[in-house]
This record gives sequence, structure tokens and C-alpha cells, in this order.
Amino acid sequence: MSEPAVYGVLALFPSAENLLTAIPKLKAGGYSEIDAYTPYPVHGLDEALDLPKSKLGILVFLMGAFGALGAFGLAWWTNAINYPLLMGGKPYNSWPAWIPVTLEGAIFFGTFTAGLGMLILFNKLPYFGHPVLGSEAMPDIMRDKFALLLKKPTDSPFDPDAAAKALRAAGGDAVEVLPEPIHEKPGAAWWARTIAAIAAACLVAAAGTVGAIKIFPTIPPMVNMENQPRLDPEMPDSFFADDRGMRMPPDGTVPRGDMPILSDSPQSGGRSLINPLPISARVLERGRHMFDLHCAVCHDRLGTGKPWLGSGYQAQPADLQSSTLRSVPDGYIYWVISQGYGPMPAHAADISPDDRWAIVRYIRALQRSQDAPEQDVRWHAIGGRKE
Amino acid sequence: MSEAIVLPPELRLDPIVEGDVSIAGLDQHVLELIETKPPRSWYIAIAITSLMALLGFSAVGYMISTGIGTMGNNVPVVWGFLIVNFVFWVGIGHAGTLISVILLLFRQRWRNAICRIAEAVTVFAFICAMMFPAIHIGRPWLPHWLLPYPNERDLWPDFRSPLIWDVFAVFTYFSVSVFFWYLGLIPDFASLRGRVKSKIKRAIFSVLSWGWVGDARHWLQYEQAYLLLAGLTTTLALSVHSIVSMDFAASVVPGWHMTIFPPYFVVGAAFSGFAGVVLVFAFVRTTMKLENYITMRHMDLLNKMVLFLSCVMAYAYLMEGFTAWYSSNDFVRYIFVNYVFGDQWWAGCLTIFCNCLLPQLLWVPKFRRSVPIMVLVSSGVTLGMWMERYTIIILSLHRDYLPATWGIYKPTPVDWGILLGSIGIFLTLLLLFLKNIPLIAAWEVKPDIVQELARRRTSARDPERARLMETGHV
Repeated sequence: MSEPAVYGVLALFPSAENLLTAIPKLKAGGYSEIDAYTPYPVHGLDEALDLPKSKLGILVFLMGAFGALGAFGLAWWTNAINYPLLMGGKPYNSWPAWIPVTLEGAIFFGTFTAGLGMLILFNKLPYFGHPVLGSEAMPDIMRDKFALLLKKPTDSPFDPDAAAKALRAAGGDAVEVLPEPIHEKPGAAWWARTIAAIAAACLVAAAGTVGAIKIFPTIPPMVNMENQPRLDPEMPDSFFADDRGMRMPPDGTVPRGDMPILSDSPQSGGRSLINPLPISARVLERGRHMFDLHCAVCHDRLGTGKPWLGSGYQAQPADLQSSTLRSVPDGYIYWVISQGYGPMPAHAADISPDDRWAIVRYIRALQRSQDAPEQDVRWHAIGGRKE
Repeated sequence: MSEAIVLPPELRLDPIVEGDVSIAGLDQHVLELIETKPPRSWYIAIAITSLMALLGFSAVGYMISTGIGTMGNNVPVVWGFLIVNFVFWVGIGHAGTLISVILLLFRQRWRNAICRIAEAVTVFAFICAMMFPAIHIGRPWLPHWLLPYPNERDLWPDFRSPLIWDVFAVFTYFSVSVFFWYLGLIPDFASLRGRVKSKIKRAIFSVLSWGWVGDARHWLQYEQAYLLLAGLTTTLALSVHSIVSMDFAASVVPGWHMTIFPPYFVVGAAFSGFAGVVLVFAFVRTTMKLENYITMRHMDLLNKMVLFLSCVMAYAYLMEGFTAWYSSNDFVRYIFVNYVFGDQWWAGCLTIFCNCLLPQLLWVPKFRRSVPIMVLVSSGVTLGMWMERYTIIILSLHRDYLPATWGIYKPTPVDWGILLGSIGIFLTLLLLFLKNIPLIAAWEVKPDIVQELARRRTSARDPERARLMETGHV
């Protein structure tokens, strides 16, 4: 094994003043590539080492301007273009209201550019292979010692022993020869590892985002109003004596717009109640709809009184096609629908008066449709609308 | 030997480090705390503060699982303790930036020893502050709804609303404060890297210090970045509490709708922040044996800031009263009278007593250097500034323009539990910081120590020259 290549020679100095006096001496000795390492910023070193002024400010200005434009653009594009919001009669492009966000955008981008730009772009950090980082002197430099490094120039010969002597002559001690850092070209395995690591990081970030936005907020007790302590229709509730969640109206309640039926039998109802609705296609259509909803289950679609429920249904619904019911007045049927008859329940609470009268009209139509006389059929055949 | 700048005697200041100091000794003293086991009192303290924090979390959990009826806020006082605490903690969080950033721009070198702890106070106060809006939004598991991101609802936040300005301001301020704090820590992490024995800790500090080697080129860029950050953060510090104040000032509630609110809030924030920092230092400098670095002169200067800001606050209160009178609006005038003579008169009276009268003690130089007095005054100011936010938020809301809706606000045990919990979180984080992170920015204080040692050498070797320096003739 040959000796590792020399990176440079490092020496420690007890104070910043020693450092500042040593640099001109070493420069006079012909050493041009001098690095200084100090525990805190030493003013004067930049002139002694001819360091160029920092250009960080220009970068920060540009990125700050970018942040300002970006934030302003975000507010403008979202609130005036993509989803125009009208708030308090202000114009869509209410630019004065976007100044605070613009300012914050500029500062956010400016500060992070200043810090990260300094570390990454200008100082080329993180770098864990720096020769000085591995030197014996590193803890001393970070504590209270000041170091000078004579770097080996790339184009001219360099004698480490002579450099060490020059450093000692300038006041340095604890001289160290630092080896060149080993730079290996990354192989295929390195690239595979790096790409896998980046892919894994992306996956974790994506899963984390989905988890935080989509999954986490849906875990109980973090439910978003879909679970409410509320009684839905027909739900039981032990609060009331009858265990019903829904309340019945008190006896004798009359809905707005309704008239109570004062007659006490179907016969007297048939005498006193008159159908207020005309015979029209709209009324019949409405009657058919309500009849199919409320009546057809027991009385059958044609009113034959054969329940759909079959023989399991014990009661015998009335045959609306019977001659008795063909001859009763409209008021009779209306009274029965409203008040109930025998096992048939009252429907006054579920069907509005107009709908009940419409059902009566439809029942009349049903009755006429069954056993229709020849004349009706002929009218129908010629498309007659004789009435 | 470089020449020290000689100031006329009336401008000359006491040394900013005292006693037996050296730059190696500073590292030894400050960084050793991280490697050694803390004393028993630290464990007792952190046990108490974590219990307080736990109490706060329980209160929040109880409130969320049961309902907001467990808190005291209800129409018309819909902004209760949560918003009072938010504004209070944001205010405490302003001292760090003002000390480390604005004093840096004014080249006040005494800030160097105290900036790290002050920045920690900022960061932790902001963590406490940010919890409150998160709870207040009602569904704390959906905080991302505050941010403009493309979502399935196709909705964006309304950028005309002061509340969204607030989100941006607080988020920016917090992230920038943490970043600034971390940037200052990088050289100190590099020192720790070489000191710690454990391999794992060394690896952690290596990564945290980005492989910092103290290269003069790096320092040049570093100082430039530090200065740029200071300039930008100054703007930020002044803007954040201004924007918080617009949450109030941009509404039409009597007592809120005033143009003096932004500067008034910024001064109040700085005032409570300085008081909070004095309180922290009063305990930290003796318990952590930092008297040589955080000297009585530091405390004296901080107390002068408290006194100055107290006078500005008194002026702001007077101007608030003038605005109320000049508005010729019965409701606005009534609100101001109601602060001091209303149902909850004690809130307004405590505010004025603690913020304007009590700090006047600090005109006496002896009191500025007396720890019991400064603890009394800054505790009073902290309480008074909390009361000021209570007065502004709650006493303005409970008497608005519609007398039919006037109400009264009574905090519940849940409210008090959440407030106590936030104090517990703050103190727990502070204790963890004192144990685990270098609590003095060593790289900033080291040049001051070198300067002080040079001054002492000059005066020992050449008393005549030192005497001339004293009288400003050199």
C-alpha cells in the first residue's frame, strides 16, 4: 500500500490575533491556498485570506421576490380565477387584502433561502468526509483553538515537512498532516440503495398524507357529523311511555287547511259531503297515484277487494266493484276513507282531503272501467271525448 | 493586539461577562450540563409540569368528547379562554425574536448570552399558542383545512379574511423561529460532537451539525445568513402580532374596531415577552449557575426594557380611551367604561395596575437588580397581560351593539384546566431544553469573553492607559 495522498497540513494557534499575524508570514512564504478554522467568526480573516464577499443577499432577494409573487399569485388565482369568491361585495381581485399573505410568503422563502442556501449552496454542507473533520484537532478548534491549513495546490509540488516547519515558525503547534479524502465513484449498488431510499421516503410521505387527511379523521371519536345522537323517523325511544320516538298529535287535532268531518256515519256523510273536485285527467291521475299507494294493497289495483297479501290476511276488504258501492254517493266513500270502517283504519291523518276526493273520483273511474257498457267502448274506439 | 473601541464614559457599559471566565471554560460549563445527570430538583420539577400538561390534555379530551358546552363560551361571548390564551402565548413568543434579532441589528452585544434561551421561550410559547386555534376550530383532526391545498371539495380559503392571514403569519413565524434557533445551534452541536462519549449521541450531533468545521469561508456565509435572517425576521415579528390584532380590528365589535390595534398589540406582545423572559432568567441564572454569563447587568437592561414598554402600554391605553371618546359612539364609549367599572371591573383594573403602575417600581436602580422585585414585577406583568387579553376579548364581546344579546362570561373548570395545561406544556419543554440543548450560544459569547479578558490584561499591565480609557481620552 502506498501512502495516502496528502490533503494539507494543519496547525493550531492559541488566539485569533496569532492567526491574523501568521497568515501574512505564510503568504510571504509562498503558500497561497490557506484555510482558517475557528470556533467563532473572526473578523479580519476575510481580508487576510482575500475571501470574496458573500453573494447570499442576491439569492435571498430573488427568492423573497419569488415567495411574494407566489403568495400573491396563490391568493389571486384561487380567489379570483379558479373559484371566484364574492365576499361582502368586494371585487374578486381584492389585492389590498392579499398584502399580509404576500409579506409572509416573501419572508418565508427569504429566510429559508438564507439558511439553507448558506448551508447547502455556498458552504457545500452537509459534508462528512472533510479532512479537517476527521483530524485530531477538531474538538480543540470547536472549543478554543484557531487552526490554519496549508492546502496542497493541484498544479504545483507540495512538501508537507516544509509546510509544517513554516507553520511552526509562524507560531503554530500540534501540527498534523491530513490525508486526502477518499472519493469513490458511487457504484450500481449505491444508486440502487439511493433510489430505493427515495422511493421508500415518497411512499411513506404519501401514505402519511393519505392517513392524515383521509383515514385518521374518520376514526372514532373523530367522526364528522355522520354519527349524531338524534331520533330518525320510526325509531323507538324509551323516553316516552309508549316507547315511540315519534309523537302522535293530540286527539282532535285538525291540520291547517283541513275541515273536520262532522257527520257520524257513512250514510249521513253520503248525504252531506259533496265532491269539490272536477273530473279531469289531472285529478284522475292524482287519484290513481294515491289509490295505488294507500288502497291497492288491500283493495287491489282494480278495487276487486282481493288483497295482495293473499290468504294470510284474515280480514275481508270491501269489493269496490260491488253493486252496493257502485250505488252509494261519493260522500259515503269519502267518509269511509277518512274515518275507517270495520277493520279498515282511518286515513284522515295520512291522506289530505283533496287526495281523498281524488281517490273517490278514481274509484268511480275504476268502477266504470269494469263491466263497461258497449257505448263506452265505442267512444273509446273512436277516440271520442263526447263529454 | 487590536485596539478596543473607546467610548465616552456616559456611553461606556459594564462588562457583559463577569468573574472567572475563559472560552474553554464556557464550553465546559454549558456543554457539561448535557452530559451529566440533572439534579433531583429537575426531576421533581418536570414531574409537576408534566402532570400539569396531562391535566390540560385531559381537559381538552373531555371537552372534545363531551362537547363545547363544557367550556364557558356561548353567544355573545363566542371567543373565550382559548382565544385569550392564544393571543397571550403569541405575545410571550415575541421576546425571543426581539432579543435575538432586533437587538442583533442594533449591535447590542449583551443579547449574545441570552438569545438562545429567549429563542427557546419563543418556540415553546408558539407551540402552546398554536394548540389553541387548533382546538378552537372544533375539529382538531382537520387542521389541514386551514391550508390552501387542492382538495376534493374544490374549495380554497378566503384570502380576504384576517383569520387566514393569521394562519399564514403564525405558521411562518413558528417555522422561521424554529429554523433560526436551529441555525444558531449548528456550531454548538459541532462542539458537542467532539465532546460526547456515546457513539449514538455523537452520530446524532454529527448529523445535526451538518459536518460543520468552522471554516472561515463558512463563517463568512454564516454571518451573512444570520444577518439576513435577522432583517427578515424583524419584519416578521412586527407583522405577526399586527395580523393577530386584525382578527379583532377588522371586525365591527365595539372595542375592537380601532386602527391603533396593530401597534398596540405589537408593543403588548413585546412587553409580555420581555416580562416572561425576565421571569425565566431570574430562575435559570442561579439554578444553572450562569451568573458569570447572564449578569445582573443583563437583568438590569431587560428590566429597563420592561419599564420602557410599560410606559408605552400606558400611552396605548390612554389612546384607546381617547379613540373611544373621539368616536362619539355611545357603545364604544360604554365599552371602555365597562372595562373598569362594569360587571367584571377587576379585569380592567388588574390590567392597568399590573401593566402600568407596578412596573414603575423599576425606576429605582436598586430594584432593577433585585431578584425578588423583578420576579414580582414580571409575574405581575404576565398576569396583567393575560388580563388585558381577557378584557379586550371577553369584555368587548359581552356588550356589543345589540343590548338584547348582552350576556356574561363565566369560565368553567375545563377552561382553567386547558390554561394550566398550556403552562405545563411550556415549562416541560423548557426543562427538557435546559437539559438537552446548549442553553448559551457559545460561539456568540466566546468573542465577548476574549474581549473582556483583553480589557482586563490591558488594565493590569498599563493602569495609566486603562485610566485614560476609563475617562475616554484614548
